[in-house]
Amino acid sequence: MRRIFDYKTLIPRWIAVLLAVPFIILPLFTTNLATLSMIILSGIWAIAAMGFTLILRTGQFSLGQAAFMAIGGYTSAILTVKLGWPFWPSFLLAGVVAGIIAMVIGSVVLRVGGVYFSIITLALGEVIRIVAMQWEPVTRGSRGLITGPPDPIPLGVFEINFAVSAVPYYYFMIVLVAVTGVIFWQIGRSRLGGTFFSIAANPILAEHQGIHLMKYRVIAFTIAGVFTGFAGSYYAHFLSTMTPYMLGLWESIQIMIMSIVGGVSSLVGGPLAGALVLYALGIYLSRLPVYGIQQLLFGAAVVAVLLFMPKGTGLVDLWDKFWRKVFREPEFYEIPSVE
Amino acid sequence: MPPAGIWIDGLIQSCIYMTMAFGMVLVFSILGILNWTHGQFYMLGAFVVYYAFTAVGIPFPVAMLIAGVVVGGLGMLVEKLIIERVNIPSAQGALYVTVATMALIFFFEGAASMLFGMQEKGLAMVFPGVLDLGSLSVSYQKIAVIIFTLIIMTAMYIMLNRTKVGLAIRAAAQEPDAARLYGISVKRTSLLVMGIGCALAAMAGSIMAPVYAINPFIGRIPMIMSLLAIIIGGLGSLTGAIVGGIILGFVNSVVAYRLSYFSEVVLFAFVIVLLLVRPQGLFGTPLK
Amino acid sequence: MKRWYNIATMVVITVMVLGVAWAPRPAHAEEPSIIKIGVPTAMSGPAAAWGQAGKAAYETWVEVFNKAGGFRVGDKTYHFQVIHVDDKNSPEGGAAAAKQLIYGEKVKFLAGHWTWNFPAIAAVSNPAKVIFMTRTGNEAVPGGVYNPKKMPYVVFANPSHEQFTSDCLAITKAFPKYKKIGILDCTLGKGIGWDYVDAALDKEGVRYHHEWFPVGTQDFAPYITRFAEAGCDIVYVAGWIGEAMAFAKQRWEMGYKDMRVGHSGPFITPLAYLGVCGKEAAQGFIGQYWACWDFKVTKVKRTYVKMCKEVMEILSEKQGKPFVYTGWIGWLPSHLLILSQAMEKAGTVDDPDAIMEAIRGGTFETTTGTWTMSGAETYGSPIVFGCPSALSTIKGDKEVYLSEYPMKPLP
Repeated sequence: MRRIFDYKTLIPRWIAVLLAVPFIILPLFTTNLATLSMIILSGIWAIAAMGFTLILRTGQFSLGQAAFMAIGGYTSAILTVKLGWPFWPSFLLAGVVAGIIAMVIGSVVLRVGGVYFSIITLALGEVIRIVAMQWEPVTRGSRGLITGPPDPIPLGVFEINFAVSAVPYYYFMIVLVAVTGVIFWQIGRSRLGGTFFSIAANPILAEHQGIHLMKYRVIAFTIAGVFTGFAGSYYAHFLSTMTPYMLGLWESIQIMIMSIVGGVSSLVGGPLAGALVLYALGIYLSRLPVYGIQQLLFGAAVVAVLLFMPKGTGLVDLWDKFWRKVFREPEFYEIPSVE
Repeated sequence: MPPAGIWIDGLIQSCIYMTMAFGMVLVFSILGILNWTHGQFYMLGAFVVYYAFTAVGIPFPVAMLIAGVVVGGLGMLVEKLIIERVNIPSAQGALYVTVATMALIFFFEGAASMLFGMQEKGLAMVFPGVLDLGSLSVSYQKIAVIIFTLIIMTAMYIMLNRTKVGLAIRAAAQEPDAARLYGISVKRTSLLVMGIGCALAAMAGSIMAPVYAINPFIGRIPMIMSLLAIIIGGLGSLTGAIVGGIILGFVNSVVAYRLSYFSEVVLFAFVIVLLLVRPQGLFGTPLK
Repeated sequence: MKRWYNIATMVVITVMVLGVAWAPRPAHAEEPSIIKIGVPTAMSGPAAAWGQAGKAAYETWVEVFNKAGGFRVGDKTYHFQVIHVDDKNSPEGGAAAAKQLIYGEKVKFLAGHWTWNFPAIAAVSNPAKVIFMTRTGNEAVPGGVYNPKKMPYVVFANPSHEQFTSDCLAITKAFPKYKKIGILDCTLGKGIGWDYVDAALDKEGVRYHHEWFPVGTQDFAPYITRFAEAGCDIVYVAGWIGEAMAFAKQRWEMGYKDMRVGHSGPFITPLAYLGVCGKEAAQGFIGQYWACWDFKVTKVKRTYVKMCKEVMEILSEKQGKPFVYTGWIGWLPSHLLILSQAMEKAGTVDDPDAIMEAIRGGTFETTTGTWTMSGAETYGSPIVFGCPSALSTIKGDKEVYLSEYPMKPLP
């Protein structure tokens, strides 16, 4: 007898969509800048973490994602501040430039594998920071660039004015996260995603099957670069400033931690969960008056998640586990094993 | 030609990077993981020796050994409680260990900030004084660093090549399965090696504590430098770590003298080129 | 008999009740209103030592200030309350701290700020019309991002760049036979701020030489050698305490015992320098001096001197040993005095525009002396305060006055 609809997959999906609703209607209840900021910034980091997870899907571990945020941030900052472009084209170009640079760097660097690739991305991140600092005529060096809010968008009688409140920033962030999420989700489900997976699982077999390893690694790296560039551009405009020291090694580490703690099994949900939880945790911890405890608890929390979650999963898998318990399905974990 | 002072400075830097790199590569050979917390053990060693010396009054060399034992023990604890549990056999194990050890960086820096405070502490009164060699002078503290490195490296050499423990370590590193057949507990050897590696880092931190200052953040740069040193030398190679440390120390000092703050760029650019052209470093095994 | 008794009781009760109802009530003490001040400062990370050192001192000073009567606007008394939030010395942290203070804690003003995230905080405080009292430097420099039209609610209560120039002049005053001043800064601080300082130094005929070191440097041998080869006999480090200590120690050990070292920041305690550099190497270390009771050229109001001394006593008692840090005197207390006097002058605590109007070009008496806001031409608006630029030096295990070069008003 065929089920008319598979409630076991539909119900969790619909509830996931419902979970998004509080976020969408939040500005109706509070325009408190501190709260909205926290979610906006979590969203930005979530996008960067999605990029990291995508690259991880092909078996590579990039410690330089914050550098792509910096590239995106600087591109749109330079275009808006120095060349006077409006925000929206600069934003789009920021993603494109970050993607192109990712493609170029990836073609050269992805050929080395494993830990060497991680170290190179680490070193590249530092080099980009140093270049941003030295290239004074363009980036204004250590002082950085001061960006402004996007211009108001007229919509009939109303006007979406970024300068006046954070609500437009908030909704734009939701749109950006949604678009990125949908794109990444589709990639994950498509043949492309399957190819990424097979490269990570068994590169030798994949090569024997005729899959050109480098091509797919570079594709993943480029896609991640584009969206991380968008995230970086938005970051620079939200904070109104872009300095070489804002996005360095420690921020790349932060992105990596958000992705892994959120759960690498999911391309979209994992980074979102990881970014939201860890960023909110960070903010609340920084309100504690005992200084030093924030770093301590943050590190301890990450280690705790790694220790107590079943191996290979993250926070987002708690969601899966919960629904399987509800429907009494046997547990089945898909661990994408990466070389 | 840089003046003699720069060469001596380079020598000191080489000694420390060498010791740190050696510890890091030992751990990598057996456990197959890069311990990102290595720099934090350096920092903790410095703090242990500070309190042992100033608060309890233990003589400095003994305090150093205590720092080595205490922090080495802490390293073993970290290995047992965290790394072992997180290091699942698949390649993801390396990923999780990396994340865990990076998270531990924050943990230890936060703990040190809370326990010891963030103000600079100094041990300038240990081995005070300067040896005057005409146009240049060298502080006794720096001479102590050189002597320390010689002793430690000799001790490591003797241990690894002439003792049964060293034999077990080398066997477990090169052929773990064969070692097990011979009755060597690879697990226990790994634990011991982690202890030795962290003890090396702690003692490096201790001997450098009087030379520079002590604060919770002194571990960051030594960790990055020892990482670069083992990359230059080759990831699995003990000789490589030593050579890499020497090269890094001298290059850093000489380039900083010549090009001031551009030394940063030179260093990273060099590492990137090296990784692209010859990823296995100077002494590592070539990749397939 | 019983009837009279009842009537008498009722009369007594009625009289009592009426008496209570009509008795004159004791006048209630007028509750002072609280003005909340937000202090975004570095409380964690490598720059935390200064942020933490100031916290206890600021809170104690506010207690002393409130006890002395606070300030009055109209017929109401006002007291201050300070709230510290860690800004991690980064733009993201600064923006988050500013947002938490303004929207979470609902502070009226931001003050006592000295970290490197001026643009990020100004971007939050200006739209909210919260007056932000900070220092010049970082981006807040002529030719930098500060624009009085875009940022109407910013006051440079500490002129750090200008103070650096005056510090150098104070050094030349203390050591007239100097050869060259070496200026050491981290690459983090590179920018047009230094062009501004250089131009000012050139105008005064000071001989100097710049060097830059990357973040995290502990080994200063290359830089010491470069300074020596450039002929510098005094090296003044732009604010980095740990690095200045390391520099002093290493230069002594390398044999450059005649090279004087200093940093443009206050001593948290001279003992730390003795511990890190060594007793001999730390002698003659130069730092910024804020002990207003010791100023020889700048005059400070007696009341404020007494208040500062009281704070030092309270803190010494609290911690069981002498409290010697004086850097706090030049920052938040001075900022709060400017704010309170501006509010008194403007006659309001709620109108930021009126208060800013009172601040621009105004003269204020603070813990660091009496100065008039200047900089109408240089910064576009006269909102830069002055400073005594007093320097101290380590002698034995104490900090003693060295020299002073009061800042000249800016055009």
